[in-house]
Formats: sequence, C-alpha cells, structure tokens
Amino acid sequence: MENIIIEMKNVHKSFGKHQVHKGINIKVPQGGITVILGPSGTGKSVLLKEMMGLLMPEKGEVIVDGVDITKISKVELVNIRKKFGMLFQNAALFDSMTVYDNVAFPLREHTKLKEKQIREIVLEKLRLVGLKDVENKMPSELSGGMRKRVGLARAIVLEPKIILYDEPTTGLDPIMRDVVDDLIYNTQKQLNITSVVISHDIDSAFKIADYMAMIYDGVTVLNDTKENFKNSDNPYVRQFINGSKDGPIKMF
Amino acid sequence: MNRVLSLIGAPILNLALESGRIFLLLIDSILWIFRPPFRWKLLIKQMEFIGANSISVIILTGTFTGMVFAFQSYIGFHKFGAEYMVGTVVGLGMARELGPVLSAIMVAARAGSAITAEIGTMKVTEQIDALHSLAVDPVQYLVTPRILAGLLVMPLLNSIAVFCGVVGGYFVGVKILDINRTLYLQYMYQYVDLSDLYNGMIKSVVFGLILTLIGCYKGMAVSGGAEGVGRSTTESVVLSCILILVFDYILTAFMF
Repeated sequence: MENIIIEMKNVHKSFGKHQVHKGINIKVPQGGITVILGPSGTGKSVLLKEMMGLLMPEKGEVIVDGVDITKISKVELVNIRKKFGMLFQNAALFDSMTVYDNVAFPLREHTKLKEKQIREIVLEKLRLVGLKDVENKMPSELSGGMRKRVGLARAIVLEPKIILYDEPTTGLDPIMRDVVDDLIYNTQKQLNITSVVISHDIDSAFKIADYMAMIYDGVTVLNDTKENFKNSDNPYVRQFINGSKDGPIKMF
Repeated sequence: MNRVLSLIGAPILNLALESGRIFLLLIDSILWIFRPPFRWKLLIKQMEFIGANSISVIILTGTFTGMVFAFQSYIGFHKFGAEYMVGTVVGLGMARELGPVLSAIMVAARAGSAITAEIGTMKVTEQIDALHSLAVDPVQYLVTPRILAGLLVMPLLNSIAVFCGVVGGYFVGVKILDINRTLYLQYMYQYVDLSDLYNGMIKSVVFGLILTLIGCYKGMAVSGGAEGVGRSTTESVVLSCILILVFDYILTAFMF
C-alpha cells in the first residue's frame, strides 16, 4: 500500500474485565476512504476514539502522521487532534448553541479570523453539506440527518487532514443513507483528505470504500483494498458480506 | 477472610480514588485560570447563572433565618432579662455561621445540581468527546469558568444573606418582640466585629469552590445515560452539602 497516515500496531484495550481489543492491526492509507467493518459491539467506536487519542490503549502503538500518539504529552496530543475532524454517531452538536455557533466554534477557538470571515466560511461549509437557512436554528429543531450534516460541517470547518465517521448511516432511512454516503464520498473527493468510516453497513461500505478492514473478537480479520476484500475467501468476511447467521462469527 | 477484607477495603479504596480524582481536577482547573485563553464571556455567564440568578433564593433564606433566629434567641435571653442581646447574637450567628453555610447549601442545591446535570448530559451525548475532538480542553472550557465564578460569587451572595438576616432579625426583635431599639443596635455595633464578617467571607469562598468543583466532577464522572445523570446529580448535591458542613467545622476550628 502507499503512504500510510494512521497505523495501529497490536493495540490492546479493555474496560474492567471486558477485553475489547486483543491485538488490532490496521493501516489507513492517505487520501482515500477506509471503511472498518465489524459486528455490533466489537469496539469499533473505541477504535475510532483511539485513533485520535480520546481513549488510550493499554498496549500497542497508534501512529498518526509518523507520531506515536500513545507516547506524547497532553499538549502535543491537542495539536495532533487539530489534524482530525470527527463526526459522532449522534452528531454530538453543542445543544446550547445555534447551528451557526456550532460550526463557527472551531474557528473561534483556533483561528484569529474576523467575524465576517468566519461567517463566510461557516456558510460555505454548510452549503457544502447541502444545508442553507438553518444557521439560526437550535440542534434540537433539526432532524437526525440534518444534525449529522451540521456535525460534518463542524468537523470539516478547520479543513483537517483526516475525518473520522462513527457509524454515519446507522439509524437513517434508506434514502437518507444514500445521501450521507454521497456526502462522505464527495467530501473526500472535494477536499482530498483521508476518511475513516466505522460501519456495519456492508452496502454503503462497498459503495464508498477504497480500502476496507474487518475486526471481530478484538482482532483484525482482514485489512485490504476493496477489490481484495470483496473477493476474499476468509470465512469471517464471507459470512459478514453474505449477512448469514451461520459461520464462524457467533452472536451468542 | 478475603471477603471480609474486601468488604472493608473496597469502600476505602473507592474513597481514596474519588478524592484523588477530585483533587486532580482541582489542580487542573486552577492551572487553567492562569493560562490563556481566558474565557471572560463564559465566566460572566456562569457568574450570572450561579450568582445573579440565586439572589432571590438567598434573600428569602437570609431573611427567614434571621427572623427565626431572633425569635429563638429571644426565648433564652428573656429568661435573664437580656433581650437586647438578640441583635448581637443574630449578627454574630449570621456573619460567622448561618450566612455562609445556608447560602452555600442553597446554591449547591440550585446551581451545583444544575452544573452536574448540564455537564453530565454533555458527557452522555458525547459533547465532551466532541470538545476533545475539536482540540478544546473540557476542563478549561467547562470547569474553570464555573469554579472561578463560584469563588467570586459566593462571598457576594453571603453578604446579601448576612444583610437580609440582620434586617430580618431587627424586624422581629424590635418591631414584633418590642426590644428597645437603641439597646438592640448599640449592642450589635459593639459586639459584632468586621473580623466576624471576614471570617464568614473566607468560609463562603471555600464553599463556593466546593460546590462548583463537586458539581463539575460529578458531571464529568457521569456514565450510563439519563439514569446516570440523575444519579450523579443527587450525589453531587449530597456530597457538596456534606463537604460544606465538614469544611465548616474545619475552618471554624482553624479560625477560632
């Protein structure tokens, strides 16, 4: 594979007695969409949070842009995080602020731009995610799909190198799912960034992915290009693609 | 044997763990007071929320406490004909003890609980993670402004409570119980010192720190959805009130 921007090496993580990760190895190549698949409850969101240092693994390395973020100070970690944008599962908008203030928040925090310039950027990003005339609404007045788009606008407003998506299509109707898939795809192409998507939605994954990975029972099953993934004869991957209850993956 | 030991050990370990975490949060938030960026807007907003919005509650608490206190102490002083000392006792009691403690407990119940509920909700809806992901430290953004506001605002609320208590005591003593007005005021001026007021002020600064710190800590420690927010909010008020009473004793003993 080409330039690797995020690499997780032998990552272990547990919560109390529950071992979530028992040796995850994933490589995220630069400038493409990597979809990480896995059944529900296998610690996919935890994986995403480890990538930007919101959670720290007990063992293993997380290398972002050449820096092992498990070994750096809090201050350096904050700087690394500026390379990331993250879209949370439920968008995690600040519910005490308007849509406008939500999207403007990172700009006000990290740039010295004048309010006029901030306004231009915010409206442009909102347009990019297909929203207009919502600036003065509160997050609670928006539908789930709109909230996700505002969340995405907030995530890309500082033009990060990497965007992480935590189950972007979960809980959306089929049409909205397609819209969000398109959004992820177009955002990546327009901004030429690296995207990492966590999902258990195999259809969307095949639609948008350049690279794919699958985790099950705390380890990486397969991490390859989309074509190789599709044609893999790994029994775990086959079972997941076919959506069958029979196979090596046990849900009980 | 092992089970007995763990029965004793577990709560003690828990206590040590929790006090350690609270202390670390305190250090962290105090360091952010001196490091930019300074959050003036958030500070003002919190001072309004913790302070200005508590004024009506504090006025009521202070006035009624002073009034009751006048009645109760009158019973005692009446027995040896020293009714005119009621003003002194109300003044001293309000300034040194009742003003700071009761105002802090009222503010803990009103603002401390709201702080926990607000931060806790942000935690369970991943808004705290979102702050992290936007490279903003939640302690600096959420905790420091609240703690600073608590420190600044509690002494002011305390002075309102003391003033209202003294006025309430005067009303009951002089207007209702017919104590001689001149004696009442003269003895109060004579025996209530400025140092008594300082004493209470120091207490209320510490209480302001306690109730905001505990409110923030319990909010950050929330886990487990709406139920968790509710549980933490209760714990926050209970713990704040207990700590206020414990530190009241410690501070009184020190400044005795």
